[in-house]
Amino acid sequence: MPYIVPIGDAQAQFPDYSFVKALTPSEHKAAFHVRDGDGRDLCLKLIAPNYSVDRLNREIQALQNIDHPNVVVLVEYTYSSKHQQQRHYIIEQFVEGDDLTARLTGQPWSRTKVASFFAALASGLEALRRAKVVHRDLKPNNIRVRHDDAPVIIDFGLARHLDLPDITKTAEGAAIGTPAYFAPEQFGGTKHDIEHRTDLFAFGVLLYEALIGQHPFFRPSRTWAELVRAVCQSDAHFTADSFVQLPKQWRLLVRKLLARQRADRPRTAGQVAAIINKIGAV
Amino acid sequence: MKHGAWHQFGDRSQKLALEQLQHGAGVGVIISPRDLALDKAMEYAPKYKDAGGDVLYDPQFYVPGALLGKLGTYPTATHRKTVSELHKISDDDLSDLADKLRQISHDLGVAGIVAPAVVYEAGRPDIDGLNQRLFAAAESAGKSLRLPVYATVVLGRSITTSDHTTDSAVSSATALDADGWYFAFEFSVDRVPGSEPDVLRCCRTGLRLAATGKPVLHAYAGPLALLSAGFGATGVGIGHSHKVWQFTRERWEEGTAQGGGADAPARYFSNALWGTIIHPDETVQLPPALKAEVLTSSPFTSPWNRWQANKHFVHVICSKVDKLYKTATAREAVEAAIDVLSHAVALHTNIADNLHITLKDDTASYQAAWQDAMNKLLSNYSDDYDYLEML
Repeated sequence: MPYIVPIGDAQAQFPDYSFVKALTPSEHKAAFHVRDGDGRDLCLKLIAPNYSVDRLNREIQALQNIDHPNVVVLVEYTYSSKHQQQRHYIIEQFVEGDDLTARLTGQPWSRTKVASFFAALASGLEALRRAKVVHRDLKPNNIRVRHDDAPVIIDFGLARHLDLPDITKTAEGAAIGTPAYFAPEQFGGTKHDIEHRTDLFAFGVLLYEALIGQHPFFRPSRTWAELVRAVCQSDAHFTADSFVQLPKQWRLLVRKLLARQRADRPRTAGQVAAIINKIGAV
Repeated sequence: MKHGAWHQFGDRSQKLALEQLQHGAGVGVIISPRDLALDKAMEYAPKYKDAGGDVLYDPQFYVPGALLGKLGTYPTATHRKTVSELHKISDDDLSDLADKLRQISHDLGVAGIVAPAVVYEAGRPDIDGLNQRLFAAAESAGKSLRLPVYATVVLGRSITTSDHTTDSAVSSATALDADGWYFAFEFSVDRVPGSEPDVLRCCRTGLRLAATGKPVLHAYAGPLALLSAGFGATGVGIGHSHKVWQFTRERWEEGTAQGGGADAPARYFSNALWGTIIHPDETVQLPPALKAEVLTSSPFTSPWNRWQANKHFVHVICSKVDKLYKTATAREAVEAAIDVLSHAVALHTNIADNLHITLKDDTASYQAAWQDAMNKLLSNYSDDYDYLEML
């Protein structure tokens, strides 16, 4: 169930902002497009009272040291408790545009568009890597696309800072995130196996979708077991006609990104960005 | 990291390495604290640099509790403890280890910092965690000296016997944010590894490390150095002593020192055979043309004795490695290595089948296996070679 706050109630709580519209809420956050007194467009997220403060702190820590055009900018985080009233909210840069979901329409993108979009996305992921942050839930809903077609990575609610203890409740589990974008280690590994290259696998799924116009693993009719098998055992996605017809460099890059073993994936998103820039629009 | 052969120190290597560098063989030295005391290392390090060689210091935490040989002369000795004790190392002690690594590295003028690490073992995620912490100490030293930091990836026998355990260990090791890899692979205790699956697994591991886009130093390579450029290694560690022809942790275990073989005849390392032959006892039996082909010349063949044989070995391997590194790509280096091995197999077959000469030491036992391994590496992992070329 999404956490819904009526826009009027939100406006009453935050009179310093003018509320433009409500954005799609998540389970623990009601989100609004707001404008501050200086006319800046921002995204205000009200946090559900039952949301873990530890988890939120992690999200804040993940974001506060990153300054990159392809990663959402954290403007302010406030937690206060007055008269038994908690005010718990985040203000982020508002990214005009839409979710990547709206752009993945089942049709392959032109490779020129793929190259420029995914090189920028990889560059954003590299900024996360340098900050030792693993997003763990990279998927179309968590990538905004600006009007100029540049991607911005958002929603760090499941992110993990590798220098900080993991607060994941499933003590040994790695199965956090969205299964359609899970890497094999998220199905069968431990949380120690989750690292930057886990995000690169999800990146590979997105790249495949953009190049081919189809998700490599997910089908609405597939059961959980079939999805696990598709990700962890099958190579059928590499034999699809539309994949085989791609230029060799793109096929190779996607195969490396979707490698089952982390050691066989590219080591960094920066490396991936450099390769995409080299491949260009081939 | 310089491309080419690095002198991997064993016992009494310091003068030999200097002499080789002065003869233009090798690009650097890897100092072994087990074998060379710190004061001697500090005395020799500037000489290596004067001779054009870079210096690396391998802290050798493979058997971290070991204090044999000259290990006790290094300040890091206070942190040499068993794996279980090392697991309890406090943040303060880790910081002290970083300071000591920084001091040694500074004093020796190293070109990069080789991180301390214990041998990776199957089913031991705790070792992954320990090596991460030890790497962090090296990272801190590297940051303060502005030097690259190479993660030590030494895979123990419990890992190297299966693809599954190797996959898992390499995935963990390569999660470290290293500037390169100091890589060794523990084979079974054969003098020269001769199992095709094991050699393939070793080379495949090296190829994966190379595909990270970071330099790889294949340490304790010995004659296997022929294959290193072919899996994308940047450098390769070659020592004169049989004891460092491959990585064996027994070198750091008390009471398991290998025998010296003081009365053994001098083995002549032949480029053509890619193996040893006893000279002159065996070479005298060869027809003159074949003998000329087998006796690869070097500046160290006269006078001929066991110590000269060591120098000759290092020189021949360094010369070959240099040539391989002049090939444009790893793929070409594999093909060049396959040519050498194919020729060696033909020569050995000729010696055994036509000339009915049986060479000692099973010196003909591994070339064909290596050739098969290299052919498989090239065909089964073609994607990795393509990827290396894309980097």
